[in-house]
Amino acid sequence: MRFLPRIARKLCLPVLVLATLFTPVAMAKQPAPDILLTMTEGQHKLSDYQGQVVYLDFWASWCKPCQRSFPWMNAMQNKYAERGFTIIAINVDAERDLADQFLAKLPADFPVAFDPEGKAPALYRVPGMPTSYLIDHTGQLRLAHQGFHVHKQDQYEQEIVTLIEEMESSK
Amino acid sequence: MKRKALYVSVLIALSQLGGCASLGVQPWERDLLAKDEMALGAEGIDLGLDDHIYFSKEATSGGRSFAGGGCGCN
Amino acid sequence: MQLSNKGSIATALAGATCALLGQSPAHAETETSMLKDWKFDTAILYYGETDRVSLAEGVISATKTNDDDSIFNVKLVLDTLTGASANGAVAQPTVQTFSRPSGKDSYQVAAGETPLDDTFRDTRVQLASSWMQPFADTWRGTAGFNVSKEYDYMSLGVNGLLEKDLFQRNTTLSAGLSYQFDSIDPVGGKPTPLSSMMIPADYDDEFEDEGEGEDDDHGSGNNSGEDKTTLDMLFGVTQVINRRMLMQFNYGLSLVDGYTTDPYKVLSVINTNGVTQDLIYENRPDTRTKHSFFWQTKYAMDNGVVDLSYRFATDDWDINSHTIDSRLRFNLSDNSYIQPHVRYYQQSAADFYQPYLNQSDELPMYASADYRVGEMAAYTLGLKYGRKLDNGHEWAVRAEYYQQDPKNAGFAQPGVLADLDLYPSVKAVILQFNYHF
Repeated sequence: MRFLPRIARKLCLPVLVLATLFTPVAMAKQPAPDILLTMTEGQHKLSDYQGQVVYLDFWASWCKPCQRSFPWMNAMQNKYAERGFTIIAINVDAERDLADQFLAKLPADFPVAFDPEGKAPALYRVPGMPTSYLIDHTGQLRLAHQGFHVHKQDQYEQEIVTLIEEMESSK
Repeated sequence: MKRKALYVSVLIALSQLGGCASLGVQPWERDLLAKDEMALGAEGIDLGLDDHIYFSKEATSGGRSFAGGGCGCN
Repeated sequence: MQLSNKGSIATALAGATCALLGQSPAHAETETSMLKDWKFDTAILYYGETDRVSLAEGVISATKTNDDDSIFNVKLVLDTLTGASANGAVAQPTVQTFSRPSGKDSYQVAAGETPLDDTFRDTRVQLASSWMQPFADTWRGTAGFNVSKEYDYMSLGVNGLLEKDLFQRNTTLSAGLSYQFDSIDPVGGKPTPLSSMMIPADYDDEFEDEGEGEDDDHGSGNNSGEDKTTLDMLFGVTQVINRRMLMQFNYGLSLVDGYTTDPYKVLSVINTNGVTQDLIYENRPDTRTKHSFFWQTKYAMDNGVVDLSYRFATDDWDINSHTIDSRLRFNLSDNSYIQPHVRYYQQSAADFYQPYLNQSDELPMYASADYRVGEMAAYTLGLKYGRKLDNGHEWAVRAEYYQQDPKNAGFAQPGVLADLDLYPSVKAVILQFNYHF
């Protein structure tokens, strides 16, 4: 079966060239709209996390790429939490049960908020599942990406590190 | 003539499907559509076996394709 | 690329590039059943007609979903067919004798019975594979091939499908193309169209002379095989209507070129009293252009799914058909369901269809008495029960009843044919077991 991926990779070259035209994820600096975060242990606001670098992730139990993002988000949380970084994952399932079942199978090491009415994704105009936003320590939205692509994990991590270093150098 | 009328009605149906902005859901509202059983080609094995039977017993075959639907993830 | 915009938060979309498919193990994540990337679907099916054909079929399909959401599928199908099928001749009030396809042997059909050729025995192996690749965020391309081999038949095909999502993936446009090459090498050679079926002189099964090398094949035709190519085009629109409902519309165009005749089918040539005087091999046009319009909708209920589809097809053989198919899934619990299935099919006769030929008439250019290109209605009633196990595997059983009712499209039944059933129903049961893991 080994040879098949290689064939596919060859076929993909022109596609790759095309895709690079779409890749950038930077966005104009703007304040991240504040949202209410309903977590298992109580209510918080996104603005409570100002002063930290926040990776705000919108996910749903029925979204397959979201499943792939969880192990990586756990790794990032464990690696960078002590440097003033946190992931906040907002679940948009209409049924809380399904979110809980997902979390039982793929436990999260980071704060998870539940938004069954979809208020936060509507405010952020989330274009697809999952979508994540990087917010710097001053509460400015800096980056966004739609989808979770395993082969871009290093790039995602580098983006986080850049904002952490920016925060550290400003102190 | 009859055929022409058919084409026209098909065109109208198509334009209504594609152009109407009120149709559809937000990306975070695909919980039901994302279910395996909601895929157009769900039970693909059954459909394939049925196709084989009907292909060899009837004069018409095909027409179905498995495009679209799903979770609308990436 | 800096995106500045007023108020709203626009995300620059990350393009779906081709993943590094043979990814290094450094990225391998802990495997849970949820993240399992290989899935297998298997099924065995039994199809049995009363007194006619029976079919046993097995399927193994393996699907791998990669990290970039590309999907690889490979499917193997094995089936074996035995039993009798209508040879096209009309029933007679007397015993009839027919040549077997090999031309070296013959079989008899009792008075009043629809002539069935019980020689059919075939094994088919089919292999199909496809690769679906998402790209540029809202596009998907699929490429596939299939190969299938039977004793007297070989089929090769390639296909491609391009899909584009629009309006936040609420609309999907698709365009597909497939090319199929079929080659048939009939047992005993291809019969000369509209030539008489030669009945071996000595009707004696036991003293059949196997050693004789001469080619006394049926219809004194030639031994070369025949080819057929089929080019299919499919254009589709899929639209999400609301949170519960999804709709699809497809238009399909199919161009068939080559040998479409069934080399094992004959027509009776009758006199004015309805008595068979001769048996001649059928002949069909060597092109066929088909159009199909397919509409499907799916609706998610709180405890199930409604799946309804309708297909209208029309072609230049003058066969028009209507198919309505509905499956209603009712979830009995979180991990089990029942699903009734109802299908209704109706077709008009091909313009060259005739249940028999009149001796007094001139031979037409094309003629077939195969009831499958005649006027017909058919229905299927079925029930499926499925269950998901604690380990995530699923099994299901399906039982269906299928009946075909050929109809008289306005042909007379002169003389002795008046009291005979020229359009007998075909009744079949379908039993299937599925296992998914």
